[in-house]
Amino acid sequence: MADKHKPAPMVDEVSEFEILELAVRELAIEKGLFTAEDHQAWTEYMHTLGPLPAARLVAKAWLDPEYKKLCIEDGVKASLEVGIDWINQMPTKFGTPSDYCNLRVMADTPKLKHVVVCTLCSCYPRPILGQSPEWYRTPNYRRRLVRWPRQVLTEFGLQIPEDVEVRVVDSNQKTRYIVMPERPEGTEGWTEDQLTEIVTRDCLIGVAVPKPGKTANDPRPVRKALKPYSH
Amino acid sequence: MSTPTRQRVLQHLDHVGLLQPAIHKETHAPSPDEITNDQYRAYTRTVHDVGGERDVPITWEEKEEEIWEHNTFVTCEVLAWRGVWNAEERRRRQNVDVGQTVYLGLPYYGRWLLTAALILVDKQYVTLSELHEKIDEVRKRYE
Amino acid sequence: MSKPHYDREHHVKKATGIGDPQCFKGEAGTPKYQVGDKVRIRDLPDVFYTRTQTYTRGCTATVVRLVYETPPAEDEAWDNTENVEWMYSLLFKQKDLWPEYADTFAQDTLETEIPEHWLEPA
Repeated sequence: MADKHKPAPMVDEVSEFEILELAVRELAIEKGLFTAEDHQAWTEYMHTLGPLPAARLVAKAWLDPEYKKLCIEDGVKASLEVGIDWINQMPTKFGTPSDYCNLRVMADTPKLKHVVVCTLCSCYPRPILGQSPEWYRTPNYRRRLVRWPRQVLTEFGLQIPEDVEVRVVDSNQKTRYIVMPERPEGTEGWTEDQLTEIVTRDCLIGVAVPKPGKTANDPRPVRKALKPYSH
Repeated sequence: MSTPTRQRVLQHLDHVGLLQPAIHKETHAPSPDEITNDQYRAYTRTVHDVGGERDVPITWEEKEEEIWEHNTFVTCEVLAWRGVWNAEERRRRQNVDVGQTVYLGLPYYGRWLLTAALILVDKQYVTLSELHEKIDEVRKRYE
Repeated sequence: MSKPHYDREHHVKKATGIGDPQCFKGEAGTPKYQVGDKVRIRDLPDVFYTRTQTYTRGCTATVVRLVYETPPAEDEAWDNTENVEWMYSLLFKQKDLWPEYADTFAQDTLETEIPEHWLEPA
């Protein structure tokens, strides 16, 4: 009964998550497991990440069939040409622990459409694509995409024709994946920079396809943070 | 492809999809004769393994990141950089060891954070008393 | 922890400058399966941990790529890295995985990775 008269929690109230996060970080530093500089170095590395290198990889491959072959054969090597070194670029010098060092580039064709999920957690190629979107991490997406892919793609606004094979890629072990969509009509004569702009994050996950003039993901509701981290 | 294994697999997926976080008013540790082998498998399953469970469409959302979420992710990566755990150990602890209720009941990075705290204790870098004292000390800073 | 001479940086040292899974290259021996082989996913127990999804168990698939060598997830999740295996990328037909999958879309597929000890010839 007394609970009824308690004031609603204020936005500036510190959460148990914030308290525990600080406690864990301080203890790890006090015990010499890592240094504050290590933590800062990783934060700075995170600031460099985003979907642009993956978009450029796709644009380059559209313009250069030899490079496209390299992308399909060895995604880690192909990443070097867009400025991403999966092994040595991070403070570790052995890649990021959570993303490993094995990128595969899944090339769509007129008769084949790829879409990526990680049913077991939310494995995602952070070094070349940045942090994963919230919807990609939901149990809902992970439950349904492997079994009802066409329905889920329809919810993202993507209708795949009957005569096209939909291939779901379940990123369950050490490989990370990006999708190389088909180059859309209406982009003849475009430069690499122009093409890069239409390869959005959602296109690289496989829930959207590039269109001339469309340079952003579909608008979706954004859940606000109480104390947002600004990248 | 209908074999006994496939039938069991599909039944299992239907079954565990019904498990949801719940706050039980009474505990009910059943006697062995009340637990079938199907129920045993459901209870002891690896809770991250959700592919193929039934669910209804939801609104796909983007989300802003809390400062503590960012810091938690970085702490977990740096712990692996310095050899406290490897990524597979982290995935096992935060996606399976936590159990179904925490798995579906806490935010994504909430699980990462609890797991980062527990690894320090489990590997004896920090005693649980030290962790408790530290949490208490940090909490008092904000009072 | 309980292994003799445990060095918590053993994996870090092994992978530095090389990467993971690259650091396990050459340790798995001769692969049991080749591209094009038909395999079935074993129905092994999964208590405590696995990364072989339940939905694949007992289903047949085709090897499409030998991707890398690595300790299986069940071992590495407790930092056991001595037994290295081949990892295979497998292609499943959606109609084999899901009984209700529409005939109209019989061409649809799913690709995922499974380590060698989870496979048997189909």
